[in-house]
Amino acid sequence: MSNIYDSSARTNYFSELTTYLWKQRDLIKLLVKRDISVRYKRSVLGLLWTMLNPLLTSLVLWFVFVTIFKPKLADGTQFAPYVLAGVLIMTFFNQGFIGAAESISGGVGILQKVYVKPQVFAVASAISNAINFLLGLFALIVVTLMVGDGISIFAPLTILVVISMLGLTIGLALMTSILFIRFDDSKNIIAISLQLLYYLTPVFYPKDILDDKVRFVVSLNPLSSYLDIFRHVFANTGTATPIDWLYMFSTSLVALFTGLIIFKRFWARSVVMM
Amino acid sequence: MTDHVIKVSNLELNYVVRHGRASTLKEAVISAIKRINLDITVSALKDINFTVDRGEVLAIVGHNGAGKSTLLKILSRVLPPTNGVVKVRGNVAPMLELGAGFNPELSGKENILLFGVLLGNSTKSMESKSVEIAEWAGLTEQINLPLRTYSSGMVARLAFAIATFQKSDVLIIDEILGVGDAEFQKKSRIRILDLINQGETTILVTHDLDAVEELATKVLWLDHGRQVALGPTQKVLDAYRQA
Repeated sequence: MSNIYDSSARTNYFSELTTYLWKQRDLIKLLVKRDISVRYKRSVLGLLWTMLNPLLTSLVLWFVFVTIFKPKLADGTQFAPYVLAGVLIMTFFNQGFIGAAESISGGVGILQKVYVKPQVFAVASAISNAINFLLGLFALIVVTLMVGDGISIFAPLTILVVISMLGLTIGLALMTSILFIRFDDSKNIIAISLQLLYYLTPVFYPKDILDDKVRFVVSLNPLSSYLDIFRHVFANTGTATPIDWLYMFSTSLVALFTGLIIFKRFWARSVVMM
Repeated sequence: MTDHVIKVSNLELNYVVRHGRASTLKEAVISAIKRINLDITVSALKDINFTVDRGEVLAIVGHNGAGKSTLLKILSRVLPPTNGVVKVRGNVAPMLELGAGFNPELSGKENILLFGVLLGNSTKSMESKSVEIAEWAGLTEQINLPLRTYSSGMVARLAFAIATFQKSDVLIIDEILGVGDAEFQKKSRIRILDLINQGETTILVTHDLDAVEELATKVLWLDHGRQVALGPTQKVLDAYRQA
């Protein structure tokens, strides 16, 4: 049965989009495969790079901080896996968010010619970064075991962090892609904001070295909750309160729905301007 | 709904452009604070009405900026109309600016798969079709090499092959009759004629009026986004040539 396009038909945005994404699963799979293979084709080390990249970043941070502080945090947590977990989450967030936003703003050439809902690109890009994150977990397992810590039996719950992060990055990316398309300088502003966010997340410092005011700001940052939960379920380090869980799920959902609605409102207007 | 494959009624498309250099966020914020409205609404298409029946070949003619490409984008669902109604029965296979959006790092075959699926096919059906596509484009030997090693002519051949090997109900052809060397032009022309003769509904945009005369069953003449004439090929073309 051939499909009929009627520009005057009114449909439910969310249910239509969900059905559409499911129908386009072949395309999503291919786009994810493309993302991943292009990334590895460019590097000599191939797949190994996914693990080496966060490992090397952590090594630098670890080296700097161990020479200044001690290899263990005050509560006895080993510093190396603490930093690596932070770097993995931040890489997941930064690359997932920017990658998904650019998959739309950079895919305008195709999107102007072939009828594809742009959300497909964002979803595929976010998924490929989730896979990247999951591959990076192997490095974290090695480092955790090396310093003599164990992996928690709750480690599979990491998948909840991954799902929440998908919602958060897709939602933020949809809003940002409109900015990227419309304003030339928006990339710089986002880059600076991401840097600020990086320092406001306890990636390489423990939260208890902060004074109360700063600690409050850091705890308002949703990524702190994502990170605390990840560290807690993965290697049973630090704490994650029910508030953290609630904060993680709700920021993910709010970002996703706000992103979808804002995108729907501005996309047609933006694409017609080009 | 009647038998029309495409029905366009009272179609209107407006878009907003920002005046001056306000393409930075900084300036947009400043002008918003100062309450200066930099937006100008441009009417790209207005009062467009036509139908296309199964097997018909509609050529759209007009000078640059007449709104031809915009109309094609609306028919391919890329742009939603501001007002009016567009109805299209079936799949639309757009053949626009060949090769735009190909990924140079991926091989010819990977690009075939990606674009085929992007145009609505399943991965499975594209796997089997890719051999046929590569063969027609004369790229069987190079198909597993990355696209950056291809010449521009090879890329154009590949793009043309991907677009014409789609199972579609409406074929959209935008200025591609003059692509590639003489041999390829001949080959692609034959391919398009084949498709048209098979009864494929086609929308054709070209400045090549001889091609319009040869292929089209009716012609829509656009000027500055307005519909000047719609009718049988010869009649509209005669008027267009005199204008």
